[in-house]
Amino acid sequence: MLQQLTNLSDKELISRARKLKDQEAEGVLMERYSHLMVAVCLPYLNNGPATTPEEVYPALLQKLSASLRTQTIPKANEWIHYTIRAQQAQTEKNSPFFPSTESREQQQMENKVEKAATNLKEQQLLAATMEEALQKLPAEEQYFLKEFYLHAKSFAELAATKKYTIEKTRQILQQAKQKMASLLMHETYE
Amino acid sequence: MSNLENNEKILKIFSNIRCLNRDQLPRYLDGRLTDVEKHLVEQHLVDCNLCFDALQVLQQQQYREKYQPLATSMQQYIRNSIKRISQVHKVERYQRQEQKKESFLIYFWVVAAIAISAGVIYLVQQQGKLKSPVSKAIASNADLPAAKSENPPLQAAVVTPVPAEEAPVLKTAQPPATTPAAPAATPPKPVVKTDSVKAAVKPPAAAPVTKDSAKKLPPPPSKPAEAKETTRVAVVHKDTPAVVKKTEDKPAPVKKEKEKEDVPEKKTAEASGTDEFLYKAAQVYHQQGDLNEAISRYKHLAESPGKYGELSRYQLAVCYRSKGQTGKARRMFKEVVRMNGSMKDKAQAALDNL
Repeated sequence: MLQQLTNLSDKELISRARKLKDQEAEGVLMERYSHLMVAVCLPYLNNGPATTPEEVYPALLQKLSASLRTQTIPKANEWIHYTIRAQQAQTEKNSPFFPSTESREQQQMENKVEKAATNLKEQQLLAATMEEALQKLPAEEQYFLKEFYLHAKSFAELAATKKYTIEKTRQILQQAKQKMASLLMHETYE
Repeated sequence: MSNLENNEKILKIFSNIRCLNRDQLPRYLDGRLTDVEKHLVEQHLVDCNLCFDALQVLQQQQYREKYQPLATSMQQYIRNSIKRISQVHKVERYQRQEQKKESFLIYFWVVAAIAISAGVIYLVQQQGKLKSPVSKAIASNADLPAAKSENPPLQAAVVTPVPAEEAPVLKTAQPPATTPAAPAATPPKPVVKTDSVKAAVKPPAAAPVTKDSAKKLPPPPSKPAEAKETTRVAVVHKDTPAVVKKTEDKPAPVKKEKEKEDVPEKKTAEASGTDEFLYKAAQVYHQQGDLNEAISRYKHLAESPGKYGELSRYQLAVCYRSKGQTGKARRMFKEVVRMNGSMKDKAQAALDNL
């Protein structure tokens, strides 16, 4: 049973956990991201009261388990990141996770690309639209996107050419991508 | 071709890539990934804050050392909780299955018990229904002789229509009565036993004789003309076969005949009353579908002279027909036709239809 569940996608596991109250599916999902949770929480361990690993991680898992049943989760990684940050901030108010507009637009574009994967004509049309959107971006963002995606350059290479840090390089790429997604989604609606 | 490649590369901007797995994370940090793999990881890192933050933390040596044991224990902790849950689930599933089985068995036995009890009730009701008409018939059968003995005038009143109907028969038999044989027409009728059920059976003893005599009579030409006439009458009216026999055997004086004439009429009236009752009782069985009983009762009546003999034969034929014994039915219908009575046309029609 566990072996079968590990082959399922995040979306399917979340669906099983919510609709069928399948705790095994929930466990498989948690295990899939456990190493990332451990890594992200490391700087916040043993920093104050109730911050031992034996307290932090079970509490985090419980929070995630509770929010899994009530919240809409389009992307598991974003949801987990949001929950960890909320726990680390130790806010009494449990504001629910809600994906940002940029995130939703980006996800819609990802779905479009996935949908067009089997249709060459659709792929061509989508690529042409994306090309047009790319041309509308600022020169620097355009440069970073082209170098990273079309010429397959790494973060380190891009950072070296512009003498930016890797974090800054990633940030520029992220913003450029979000802008492009926004442009494409607005074009579609117009 | 280059255009296609370019298209694919542009589409990569919005391709969905999974988070770094347990194995990829340290390998990326150590720079042990292939170029393609590294590029895929970095494509994902552009969007995923969780993975990027994790990498940022793990790049610091102090956290890197803590990471491995904590990640393993965290994984173990989750697996243990899943294992416990899965065991609990298994137990719950097994219990549910057992409960289902038990409930199914209970439902089955409840349904079976209901079906059996319904069947028993139905059978009891059916038996009660069957018993009630038969007992009624028997009761009426038993009551009739008593009633007859108690109220003979009433019986006579009931029977009166029958002699009226049979009057023509008697009248037809009367012409030979002018001859010396006529007075003896009545004696063969069993006077003593007419009121009992067996009385109806007795007459057949006389009837077959008459049949034989009727058959045998034509060949001897030496017989007198009067005798011939009587035989003709006997052939036409089998109800009064005894008359023929007696005319042949004993020529009696006219005076005695006149004296005796009144007594047989009364006796035939009584006999026909019994016949009517027996005929109706047989009809009850016939209507209830008890053909065998009806046939046996009709058989008793069939040999009796008069209207009910003919009717009984006709009904006997109908019974045989409904039982599928067409041979017997045909024979009976033929007999009815030969009797040339009121049922002749119907019998002929039935015979044609067979």
